[in-house]
Amino acid sequence: MGPTVEHLLQTLSTGILVGCLYGLLCVGLAFIFGIMRVINFAQGDFMMLGMYIAVGVTLSFLGFLGASAPFVAALIAGIVMFLLGYLLHLLLISRTTGMRMSTELDSHQSQLILTLGVALFLQNGMLFLVGSAPLAQISSLSYSAWQIPLLYDDVSAVFINKARFLDALAAVLISVCLFALMRYTRMGKSLRAAAEDPEAALYMGIDVDKAHRIAFGLGAAIAGIAGGLIVLYYPAQPYVGLDFIIIMYAGVVLGGMGSVEGAFWGGMTIGLVQQLATLVIPLQLQNAAIFVVFVLILLVRPNGLFGRSVERA
Amino acid sequence: MLKVDHLSVAYGGLTALSDICLEVRAGELVSVVGPNGAGKSTLFKAISGVVRAGSGSVTFEGEDILQTRPFQRAHAGIAHVPEGRHVFPAMSVQENLEMGAYALADARKREELFERIFALFPILAERRRQYAGTLSGGEQQMLAIGRGLASAPKLMMFDEPSMGLAPAVADTIFERIAQLHKEDGMTILLVEQRVAEAMENCDRGYVLQTGRIVMSGTYEELSSDDNVRRAYLGM
Repeated sequence: MGPTVEHLLQTLSTGILVGCLYGLLCVGLAFIFGIMRVINFAQGDFMMLGMYIAVGVTLSFLGFLGASAPFVAALIAGIVMFLLGYLLHLLLISRTTGMRMSTELDSHQSQLILTLGVALFLQNGMLFLVGSAPLAQISSLSYSAWQIPLLYDDVSAVFINKARFLDALAAVLISVCLFALMRYTRMGKSLRAAAEDPEAALYMGIDVDKAHRIAFGLGAAIAGIAGGLIVLYYPAQPYVGLDFIIIMYAGVVLGGMGSVEGAFWGGMTIGLVQQLATLVIPLQLQNAAIFVVFVLILLVRPNGLFGRSVERA
Repeated sequence: MLKVDHLSVAYGGLTALSDICLEVRAGELVSVVGPNGAGKSTLFKAISGVVRAGSGSVTFEGEDILQTRPFQRAHAGIAHVPEGRHVFPAMSVQENLEMGAYALADARKREELFERIFALFPILAERRRQYAGTLSGGEQQMLAIGRGLASAPKLMMFDEPSMGLAPAVADTIFERIAQLHKEDGMTILLVEQRVAEAMENCDRGYVLQTGRIVMSGTYEELSSDDNVRRAYLGM
């Protein structure tokens, strides 16, 4: 017997909601990896830090905000992560990027080692500070749902978890703001220019080093915000980033390197595939399904869903 | 306006430029000619700060620009139109021009300049919304020049603007550069392998060979020199 319509719709709605969060995570990595071509192994751990910051500030001084506290906390996590990302780039990452390195391969190798080190430092640092017990954002939203009756009979209904729905809404809003920032503002355009051709951007009078720092900070901030949102339904522990980092890279590549919108849809695709796969294959294989679809899509579209080749042949 | 004084540049022990002295006065078109590998592009990159100068000084309007950070040199009024065009491929023609105007705060002035750019290169107006990476080589060169012009520079530096272009297209590019010089009174420093074209319109020229300036003078002086005639002009 196949899945019922009710089951299908329930899974689809969960897939879309999870997909929005994955989309936001991928948008964050897109700034760092897709656009600036910096390999960042610590991106999952930026998310992890965002989770802890969000829970921490909610518990310590946002109690008076009630149900909206987790969302304000996620924004605060974003701001903190922006500063952290900006500083990390200024002090460490910048030594492995730009015109100092002779080839892209050179810089990728050193970025790999450097950010892997940062990732280990953050994971073990948090293990040292807060221990390994999972920590969740306590909110009544996480335990309540809207029941949407399906009209074809009297008993079937789809449940939409309130926390997941509001998370998804916030993720979409933030993503749209970022698309607009990159597409229409002077700053967004200068970031793209600095990423596409640092040498030419310098001739335009763009402070390329600063542009890279800002992009890295933004990427870290988005990971922080996404972490703050996700912790409403997925508990934090120091190694939680590992559950997400692969999804982020897969989403960015799937969407097409260099495209922020593409990264969002890449993340969405992964959320949908991950959830829908549970309808037909065992739960343990849902991440395998992601990579089967990943490979299939790249076979057909090597530049990703939204990737384009703008160079003349 | 621009004065390069005893400038030397070395890459990892190899001397690329040694003891270069060169001057561009306001309103002049100055050409630097010489064979491949003579250090022409290195000279431009040192002025723009992409390559670090070993010794010597570069003064622009009385200020030692080697002491400023590279991105600030565009704000000071130097537009570098690089070798190989370097347009932003995944940005539209319009966006490329906006990036050219990055150092220019005055929005009205920018609109004026865009009109001038589209008058010089009507094809760019037609292709405004197109990705720069999809343009032909000649169109990309026009865009690179337009982008340089968009910052309302005091000095424009053109590095091999004819490189990789069909002769007819290269002729158009040279005509436009000459037009910028004559009609707009633009001060221009031009590096070019196509020596005859580069010298035709210039006020003064320098001959660069293996990192040294071996000769300088007006067009008449240079073109009457037997060595220059034999080596570069094929006469």
